[in-house]
Amino acid sequence: MRPPPLDFLFPQGIGTDLIYSFVIILCSLMVYHATKEMYELSSYKGLKYFRQAFLFFAAAYFFRYFIQFFLVFFNIQDILEFSPRYIGWISLFLFLFSSSMAVFYLLYSVMWKKWNHSKSRILLFNLLALIIAWIGSSFRGIGVSLVLNLILLVFVSFVLFIAYKDKRKGKSLFIIYLLLFIFWALNVIDILIPKFLQWYNLLIYLSSIGLFMIILYKVLKKAGN
Amino acid sequence: MVKRAKLEIMRDILRIIEENKNSIKPTPLLRKSGLSSKGFKEYYIEFLERKLIIEQILEKNEKRVSLTEKGFKFLERYNTIKDFIDEFDL
Repeated sequence: MRPPPLDFLFPQGIGTDLIYSFVIILCSLMVYHATKEMYELSSYKGLKYFRQAFLFFAAAYFFRYFIQFFLVFFNIQDILEFSPRYIGWISLFLFLFSSSMAVFYLLYSVMWKKWNHSKSRILLFNLLALIIAWIGSSFRGIGVSLVLNLILLVFVSFVLFIAYKDKRKGKSLFIIYLLLFIFWALNVIDILIPKFLQWYNLLIYLSSIGLFMIILYKVLKKAGN
Repeated sequence: MVKRAKLEIMRDILRIIEENKNSIKPTPLLRKSGLSSKGFKEYYIEFLERKLIIEQILEKNEKRVSLTEKGFKFLERYNTIKDFIDEFDL
């Protein structure tokens, strides 16, 4: 017997979600690949964090839908006797962990020189991402999710604002990153509370794709690929 | 004197090798790099490990340093890398 689908697995319009995830994964992997040679030649830390951010974005969107898609559509859970609810929890956990790490790495790629590069900071990011993933996947209430995302969004925006407030250059990058973080938070809320933003779903998807496309365009233009 | 960034120091050292017909002894390279011997040694070891340069032992045990293909590629792509880092504020 086919198990009942979970709202996280297939909320509404699985086709739209799959295309959306696929486009974001493709953009992220293209950014990662386009910067490979520059990093291999220079071993520059800022480049390393920038690339890792996009690798984590790709991983996050892979976990978001593709794992469930493959498991359910190819009936792998019947063969391996997985519980789909358990798979849903793991996928959500991995999505929240990867997307949080992506945001932290993107922020760190801009801030690493000011924050004095240290391994303990990366460990702290991992720990924070694990806590966010655990809270988000275990307590899927509206209040917890909203508060968690708002705190993170305020923190990330504040750090970005401090970093760019005195700079003449880089204002467009500040706006792009800020919008990316806002849409990341909306994406997380959209997954944790599917009905909360359902009328704005398509708008969130299109705006997120637009932002990734802008970043990819800038990367390809500057990387000379 | 303005402090050079790591990437600029890398470019300067590799360019010195290139400008010396891709073959220079380590001692004149140290002198021309404008670094302390400790700082130079760190870069030198890193370059060898990352295969940006190669050491050659010639006659009479004379040691010479040359750029590898990767070293030449770094110099060729330096401006692109620098522009990219500036553009994304990395």
